[in-house]
Amino acid sequence: MADVMIALRELKKTYGSADGEVHALRGVTLDINKGEAVAVMGHSGSGKSTLLSIIGALNPPSSGSIEIDGIDIYALSQERRADFRREYLGFVFQQFQLIPYLTALENVLLPLVTTSLPGRRKRELAEQVLCRVGLAGKMNRLPNALSGGEQERVAIARAIVNAPPVLLADEPTGNLDTKTGEEIMALFRELNQDGLTVLMVTHNPDNTRHMGRTIVLKDGLLCQDKAEILSLAAGRGQRRGG
Amino acid sequence: MQLYHIALNNLRRRKARMLFVLLGLSIGMATVVAVYGLLEAMKAEMTRRASEFGANIVITASAGEMAFSYGGITLPEVMFDVEPLTMADVAAIDNIPSRPGVRVVAPKLLGVSTGGGREVIVAGVRPQEEFRVKPWLRLQEAPPRPERKQMAEEKGEAMELDIYYLDLARQDPTKTVLGPRQVLLGSAVAETLGVNSGDRLTLGGQEFTVFGLLKENGSLEDELVIMNLAAAQDLLARPQEVTVIELTTANPAAAEQALLAELSQALPGAQITSVRQETLRRDELLTRMARFGMAVSALILLAGTLVAALAISGSVRERTREIGILRALGFRQSHVAKIIMLEALLVSLGGGILGYAAGVSAARAAGPLLDSGTLAVPWQLDLLAATLLLSLAVGLSAGIFPARQAARLDPAEALRFI
Repeated sequence: MADVMIALRELKKTYGSADGEVHALRGVTLDINKGEAVAVMGHSGSGKSTLLSIIGALNPPSSGSIEIDGIDIYALSQERRADFRREYLGFVFQQFQLIPYLTALENVLLPLVTTSLPGRRKRELAEQVLCRVGLAGKMNRLPNALSGGEQERVAIARAIVNAPPVLLADEPTGNLDTKTGEEIMALFRELNQDGLTVLMVTHNPDNTRHMGRTIVLKDGLLCQDKAEILSLAAGRGQRRGG
Repeated sequence: MQLYHIALNNLRRRKARMLFVLLGLSIGMATVVAVYGLLEAMKAEMTRRASEFGANIVITASAGEMAFSYGGITLPEVMFDVEPLTMADVAAIDNIPSRPGVRVVAPKLLGVSTGGGREVIVAGVRPQEEFRVKPWLRLQEAPPRPERKQMAEEKGEAMELDIYYLDLARQDPTKTVLGPRQVLLGSAVAETLGVNSGDRLTLGGQEFTVFGLLKENGSLEDELVIMNLAAAQDLLARPQEVTVIELTTANPAAAEQALLAELSQALPGAQITSVRQETLRRDELLTRMARFGMAVSALILLAGTLVAALAISGSVRERTREIGILRALGFRQSHVAKIIMLEALLVSLGGGILGYAAGVSAARAAGPLLDSGTLAVPWQLDLLAATLLLSLAVGLSAGIFPARQAARLDPAEALRFI
């Protein structure tokens, strides 16, 4: 039996608002194995991003449990949870979310800033990952001097520079053209083949081809219905065809 | 890369906001520095003048004084029953127990006489003592005589025409010995009477020789005809009388009270004034002014701090998403707070340096206007250090609230993950 990297049990998340309560997750139970690549799909409001933020140690669940590599992450203090994020998780956000006044290299260095590595080693690591994502010649450019695809590559380099075992991505190709999106997905597949556990939220069914498993969320619950998955894919196909 | 790189880069990116905070802090610091610098310079100047004023104790005759008021308009005080000091009082000073601590006893008689058809003020003094209590007096050497000038011209030599001055008390004590019929003239009275060194001058029917002229010093001495005390008592027909006795003491401040008590006992009818105590009274006034000035500065500084705090807080709100990213990348709350505090620190350091430069420059420009050109506000390293410390304290105070605000941001909320 494969080792479980992420274990979710009856995970629920409820947000309170003036209009009443919103049940973003209503009891999700899920195991993601080490080295697995999982795509999370679902309509807007289905709870995808909430699930990602809970797994990302950023958003405590209302109930249920979550363990990553056997660690109950919400039993940790706020500051220890920050350390956990730095050591275990790499984030690729929607719209890249690079710091605009830092160069590509400095953006990639960010997760290493608070580590005790020597400065030269930090720089070596950042340069290595930037080379790996194909940005060797553009390290000193500010984000606004890079194309969308290049910014995405910087975001991926930043997510993997501290060699985390888990990579979380939220709509990584949402702002890219098809060709660039394919290149980025190929990069994700390559990282997964190197042993990284990848969990990716996506609206694009094409991206699921690069992932080993696809799960679908509907109204805060995991949907096991193959027809639902096919309907999502078909919907996407129709939009593209139209 | 370190945390301060992030702080520094953010400041570079948000130049307008950074300059706004910098300006707020600089103005606050400049006000404090200017007020403090001016007051310190005024204190130093007062101390310098007090120390330059040779006499430590001034003894004058006691008299009744009354101020007349007419419909709220008060006229200068009228003195009556003046009991003049005499040479016996001068002798009495020699017998007090603290006499060894008194370096100079300089009695003086002041009166009005006529000379050259005009009224002049005559001061009878003991020249050597007088010039020891007034060490700033200088004798104006006589200009070259016409025959010397002529000889020089015949030899084709450049004649030294500059007037130079002798330090009466220190350099040439022999010059301070006046004969019974010799006088020294203040520069103004010499000009009024149209006399020069070596000329003869008739005062009150008595003939005197002008021994020398005093260099102009802008004080009372410029108006005086100075002669020996005995000669003045004779000229003014006030034998044995003395108007004022000036004392220079070598006593430390602690012993001054004892000396004053002994003098009061020895000269029961006299009015005894300590210049030091007078200075202290003025110093107290200056201290009150200083407190008021510093209170106003503190208010301006407080306003500067609030402006800085608001601006930094605004910057934190603008960077909510960015802070969320940093937190997601593993920055602790303390790391985020440090970045904000570092930014406040860097700006306050700049504000301190600018405020110091602006404050001292303003004080240097304002100094001459306040004190007829003599007040000098120096560039001081210790004031710079104090300014930087204060500025850092202000900057850090301004940064604390925004830093806490930034550190407590919910990363999920900041990234709008829902």
